[in-house]
Amino acid sequence: MERVIPDAADRSPGPRAFLAVDAGTVTNAVSLIGRVEGRWRLLGATAAPAGVGVDALARRVVERLRRADAAIADHLGLAPDRLARLPRVTSRTVVPPVAAVVGGSGRVAARLASAVTLAGWRPRTVAVHDGDPLAITRVLLDPAVDTIVAGSADPPAADERGHLVELLELVLAALERRPELTLVLVGGLGRQSARVEDRLPGRPGPTLVAAAIVGEGVAEPLTELMHGLRGDDDEGRHALVTATATLARVLGRRLEVVEIGANSGTRIRAEIAPDGSVGVASATIAAAALVPDEVPDGVVDGVAGWSTLRLDRLRLRDRLRELRVAPWGEVHGEGAELRLAAARAALTRLVEATPHLSTAVPDLVIAAGGVWSVAPGSAVGLALADVLRRPGAAGLAYDHARLLGPLGTIEDEVERHAVIGDLVDDLLAPLGSVVMPAELRAGRAAGDLLVHAAGGMSELALVPGGLELVDLPPGEHATVELRFRDPVVLGTRGRRFAIELGGGLGGLLVDLRDVPLRLPERPDRRRELLAAWQSALWAGVEDGR
Amino acid sequence: MIEGIDLVVTRGLVETGLLTTLPLRPGDRALVAEGDLVAPDDPVIERLRDPVVEDALVADGPDVRVGARWSGEAAGTLRRRVAIADGELLAPHPGSAGRWRVVTADQRDLLLSPVAGAVVAVRPGVAIEIALSGSALRGVLAAGTISHGRLELATDRGGEVRSGSLDVGRAGSVLVVGARIDAEALIRARAMGVRGIVVASLAGKDLRDFLASERRQRAGIHPSPPFAVLVLEGIVRRPIPVSTMRVLEALAGREVAILTEPPALAFEGSGLDLPRPAPDLVRIRHGAHAGREGRFRGLAGRRRFDAGVHLEAGWVALDDGTLLAVPLNDLERRP
Repeated sequence: MERVIPDAADRSPGPRAFLAVDAGTVTNAVSLIGRVEGRWRLLGATAAPAGVGVDALARRVVERLRRADAAIADHLGLAPDRLARLPRVTSRTVVPPVAAVVGGSGRVAARLASAVTLAGWRPRTVAVHDGDPLAITRVLLDPAVDTIVAGSADPPAADERGHLVELLELVLAALERRPELTLVLVGGLGRQSARVEDRLPGRPGPTLVAAAIVGEGVAEPLTELMHGLRGDDDEGRHALVTATATLARVLGRRLEVVEIGANSGTRIRAEIAPDGSVGVASATIAAAALVPDEVPDGVVDGVAGWSTLRLDRLRLRDRLRELRVAPWGEVHGEGAELRLAAARAALTRLVEATPHLSTAVPDLVIAAGGVWSVAPGSAVGLALADVLRRPGAAGLAYDHARLLGPLGTIEDEVERHAVIGDLVDDLLAPLGSVVMPAELRAGRAAGDLLVHAAGGMSELALVPGGLELVDLPPGEHATVELRFRDPVVLGTRGRRFAIELGGGLGGLLVDLRDVPLRLPERPDRRRELLAAWQSALWAGVEDGR
Repeated sequence: MIEGIDLVVTRGLVETGLLTTLPLRPGDRALVAEGDLVAPDDPVIERLRDPVVEDALVADGPDVRVGARWSGEAAGTLRRRVAIADGELLAPHPGSAGRWRVVTADQRDLLLSPVAGAVVAVRPGVAIEIALSGSALRGVLAAGTISHGRLELATDRGGEVRSGSLDVGRAGSVLVVGARIDAEALIRARAMGVRGIVVASLAGKDLRDFLASERRQRAGIHPSPPFAVLVLEGIVRRPIPVSTMRVLEALAGREVAILTEPPALAFEGSGLDLPRPAPDLVRIRHGAHAGREGRFRGLAGRRRFDAGVHLEAGWVALDDGTLLAVPLNDLERRP
């Protein structure tokens, strides 16, 4: 296997550094990683709209390093004329592809579409049962379509048996016009794959077969197959999953990654088994993009529900459409608040689309994606706590340099483990921790909280419905003792809890609000409440209003 | 080169060799073949209006395949026999040999090419692709039907056109209308015979109202001539950028075409002396100074902006002598 990253033991005069490049659909991010004192360290990172070249960003990062510490730059062999030869690991994110999904019945078509959606595709769904041949053909021949997914139950159900021959005929007719399309036959229809070869021998596009859908989840064969069709191993979200598994192994902790991108959202769960192995489950959802295509009403309502800005529906829709056209435009002032509201709404859609991943509270929640960079760590922590409502305690972190994706493209697992192990303190910005008890009785003091940290002990009363922020800087750990008057749920049911938690940019957030969160129905009151919570954790947010 | 200017997004002002796509729906007939040269107003597609699917018995032969043209009589009872004049074979009818589904329609419309170029691909039922022989100015979205006409400037770059100011004197023209236009003015422009509108921004509500009106218009027996709107910048109101406006001023009185896929204004660039922006000219796309242009004067470092957001910034010298630190993300070069 060819080594991309310079060997740690290599004493040759060549560069002892490499670039990690996250080439996204709207953003290019470049990180400079060098070997300093026997470890890989993150030496600088920057990001810019995709229209700015990676080389320009790399030059900027290296120039910054030279200005900050020329000795390290010289030691790593980072001369300006050697930049082009600097090794790179690159992940590339793709726009969610479109699949024409056709089933014998509406029920089967909906289940196929659901499985395809979990793999990050945008389905255009039709059923032969209630569609006319012309409308179905139009969907199959849509120039945006990359793949046709056609399927039936196995064996075909009574309501679809009479339509399968016609379904196959229409699919074959579409493939005659567009032979380059990938065809995926699912369930009982998979037995017809030989007919495709007979009718269209040697066509350029592949014909693949997936087993019938039996349940609902990411482990479905169709979902796995469609995941693979979305891109190679260096595709950004595939690489993110790989890196998350390695990171979980390095940290020995249960992780959850929530990534909100310009074109998709991804949720990843990594669990450590008793034997030390890591199990990973993930889903990529196109509808969980920061602002999905066409900005449907549901998206506008979702953002309005989290927005602290006084915008009517029409103006909000226009601002979101503008955000879709120019994702990097005006990321300050009101633009920052709008982005964080859109990010909360996108995260809500992501969580709703992936109920199978809403299992036990992880040890660490990692936010990924550029949208989180507009706000300070405390406000990002609040945004995560607003949406991920699960009773328990968890650490919060941010993949601030967008390193996880590129590092996930390192093919050799041992090498990847070593690099991520070295970089683990650099690649995650600690946002803090959140403690979220549930089933508190409203209207009276619920108990008190003691924080035993290196700086001493602090105590505060626990008031249901409130948010308390305890200063706990990055790198510091504290034992948090919670004493409730009545039993609550915090991982388990009880009155007294002691938890060891880490600090971060946002400190320790004690979230005593409802689980799930209940917000006022009236928009003005809801906005005031959200603004009050947010402004307490986001210094300067009112500058832009 | 000024330090840091390569960190500003570059979007070409005028492009050449643009590939435009004309959608072909099942049943539509391509009137051109791969390699053909087309000129403005050459017929390229015969579109079916309100297409229907009929069953027909088709005698087997070498030309009988999906997407092929076919004429004959629809299968059915003796009472209900429909003549199909030039339909398209959609798919074989399942379970009965020789029986096909044919797409046809009573009425057909001719789609004329808005541009000169070479046909690079014809995919029946999917699309025709034409490589433009001229140049193009890209926009961010376009709506309506591809069209062409002579370019006229109706306002300055920050202006707005009201419906009352549009009359038949503008018929046949593609109007540049400044910062924004509402749906009422768009619909009146179409009614007055205007062929297209070029505007900096278009609010979502106006776009939706226009599209609804356009659908009703196209469903009529005698639809109005093709009409398209090209949005150059985005959704939120702002003026047309100075450098773009200079190109539009240079094109005034010339034939231009509005393309929808991709959204662009196409024109023949030969013999045209288009202004060339200075290499350090940047445009502020977003924020309080959106729409203004100036000279890039170097990196200003990481700075704190509204809402406490820290961003890489660059110095921009405006024409009035003001020096601004603007986030690099809000800047754009259009060489």
